[in-house]
Amino acid sequence: MAKSEVAAGSRRTLMDMFVEGARRGWNIATTNMMPNVIMAFVLIQALKVTGLLDIIGKVFGPVMALWGLPGEAAAVLVASFMSMGGGVGVAASLYTAKKLSGADITVLMPAIFLMGALVQYMGRCLGTAEVDSRYWSHIIAICVINALLAMWVMRAILIFF
Amino acid sequence: MPQPTSQDEKKFEIWGVVALILGVVVFSGLLTKAPGFWRAFDFTNLVGDFGKIVKDAAPGFRGSGGTAARDGFVFALTLIPGVMLALGLVNVIDYLGGLKVAEKLITPILRPILGIPGSAGLTLIAALQSSDAAAAMTRQLRDDGFINQKELNVFASWQFPGGPPISNYYTIAVALFPYLTVPIILPLIVMVIGKFAVANVMRFAFNRNTK
Repeated sequence: MAKSEVAAGSRRTLMDMFVEGARRGWNIATTNMMPNVIMAFVLIQALKVTGLLDIIGKVFGPVMALWGLPGEAAAVLVASFMSMGGGVGVAASLYTAKKLSGADITVLMPAIFLMGALVQYMGRCLGTAEVDSRYWSHIIAICVINALLAMWVMRAILIFF
Repeated sequence: MPQPTSQDEKKFEIWGVVALILGVVVFSGLLTKAPGFWRAFDFTNLVGDFGKIVKDAAPGFRGSGGTAARDGFVFALTLIPGVMLALGLVNVIDYLGGLKVAEKLITPILRPILGIPGSAGLTLIAALQSSDAAAAMTRQLRDDGFINQKELNVFASWQFPGGPPISNYYTIAVALFPYLTVPIILPLIVMVIGKFAVANVMRFAFNRNTK
């Protein structure tokens, strides 16, 4: 069906396809991304008001310094583990609060995804595909290590920019 | 995959190649600062800028000094155009056959890079966009005998970290694009290489265990 329409060069249909995709984008953005971003902004505000954010910054400072990141970056990784949207939201809100720089965000970016929402994807990916459950913990551990290594790779790439 | 035979299908495939190349260029961020005409083929330029509400202000309606849920809400609103643009473009590329071409390119290299048969190519392409569809398709591949349980474990460990890279990156990470200090495709490339790293660690571990 699709083939003959393209061969005929129907312009209107291409626009229809764009609109259809954009509509799906609206649905994802409003039902998925926005609630996650709000959750992350509220979380950061709560951490800020209670003073816990400063404590996280101090406690994780020495660890995150391994990647040349401030301690607060640990909050991004923890939030990512639960939800990628949350991790991205925390990163954006820490940037707004001037706790993270653009370079810090760049270093964190691959890790936000490589160790992102692993709990959720355990069910959605490993569970649905029926991976032997005795390997799940191994896979998760490798994913976290891999994400931490990816931050060094990103840091190395930054040297060229 | 049956080879295209008729004239229509060949024409269709050419459009697929064009769509795939354009898609890669647009989403790569390589032409963000290109001169004149070529700037149009770039995600950042296509998504554009918000207007300024007052002169000398930063573009957009987010304001400054906002906090918590309200700031998060307005911030999320500013991201929606990027998400809509990204999924609109992906849908067009898919419709023109761009993903089919990508599948053809990737099928022969699946065995060397993941140790799984080429018949998993379509699933791998699907896994770029939807983890749920891909997970179900992966199980089907095993049930139909195209891959064995060991290959399923390895393949799922490719799909697992970061979920579907293309759709997640361009719908979630889009929030952080303005802050990146490198072309937007670079973190995505690191991410995809990371997925192959995880899968190959598992592949190596399984191969050692079964020998």
